[in-house]
Amino acid sequence: MAASAGTVEGPVAHHFNNMGQQLATVRFGMWLFLVTEVLFFGGALCAYTAYRIWYPKDFEAGSAALNVGIASVNTFLLLTSSLTITLAIRAAYVQNRAALMRYLLLTIVLGSAFLGLKAREYYLDYEEGLIPGPATVMQKRTVMEHGKEVEKDVPVSKFNVALEEALKREKFKGEAGKDYDPQRVQLFFMFYYSLTGLHVLHMIIGIGLLTWQLIYAQIGFFDHQSRYVYIEVMSLYWHFVDMVWMFLLPLLYLAGPHTAGQAVEQFKLALGLAGGGH
Amino acid sequence: MSHNPNAAVHAQESVHHEATPNSKSFVTFAILCGMALLALFVGFSDLGSMKVVASLLVSTVQAGILAYFFMDLRSADKQTWLIAAASLFWVFIMFLFILTDFLTRHLGVL
Repeated sequence: MAASAGTVEGPVAHHFNNMGQQLATVRFGMWLFLVTEVLFFGGALCAYTAYRIWYPKDFEAGSAALNVGIASVNTFLLLTSSLTITLAIRAAYVQNRAALMRYLLLTIVLGSAFLGLKAREYYLDYEEGLIPGPATVMQKRTVMEHGKEVEKDVPVSKFNVALEEALKREKFKGEAGKDYDPQRVQLFFMFYYSLTGLHVLHMIIGIGLLTWQLIYAQIGFFDHQSRYVYIEVMSLYWHFVDMVWMFLLPLLYLAGPHTAGQAVEQFKLALGLAGGGH
Repeated sequence: MSHNPNAAVHAQESVHHEATPNSKSFVTFAILCGMALLALFVGFSDLGSMKVVASLLVSTVQAGILAYFFMDLRSADKQTWLIAAASLFWVFIMFLFILTDFLTRHLGVL
């Protein structure tokens, strides 16, 4: 039987008094989980804030070396996935199984595209050597030996060399040791990898759950109208992941000096759409 | 605890609630895209030390719109509003104590 406008129908589990209580409990359970998530990311961002206050110039230098082009495109991919999952709720509500599956699939595709670009970004960072750590490379440097200046191979921080090259390429105005301390920039990169890594982990879990719901939609689980609430709570989680990104973008990627032209160029280079190296 | 003796396993019931119409979702999406463009515009501008403040302000408004419309806080019950507000309050306390420590001990004066 089709439900009348604004009315939700379906089975009520024995431990609930009525449909209203059942739907409210499902939603409330997800909101309780999201509170733990807010505190989880809140703690990480609090630590970031403390170090950013301490080392503002070093964090700006670190941000200048990041690929803001990929981050900008990823922002719109996530926003669009937030729209498609909202459309999926409506599709489940009006009992349109084909539309529900289409929107769930679109959300998975958009989320996967985000992760694909993120993987490319991580790979380029790794290739460049922008990984904080004690690794060293041998470089010719002028050093004092027995009171004389001589040129010889000495071990230097691999990260510091990579950072200097990346900042030179991005035309960052500033000198290592004077305007920023590369060791402190390593700290920024620790935050960059851990915060974006945690966000990626949440997206992987979200895509897994969406795939599970897609399979359930295929076998007809959501053919009971009241079960649209499970799509709705999934969307709460997905929107929260989007919300976290809304703060990661300005705190990590836009903290340093960037331009729109630079973002476009970085994106093209990352995807091999323009000549030259990254 | 009250319990409805008529509630049986898989009883068919109905309740009044409506999922957001697609047209409203598209409007919210357009506003969020506009806010994202504004965030990028602020990020690419040279506002000096005010850039982080302006960026976070845009992000906060954007997150608020997302929570209110896409996460359906606008039609949520008081319990949900309370829990959402409580989470922000706890985060506020965490930031407050840490920033208080900075503001009172790291002013660069003897």
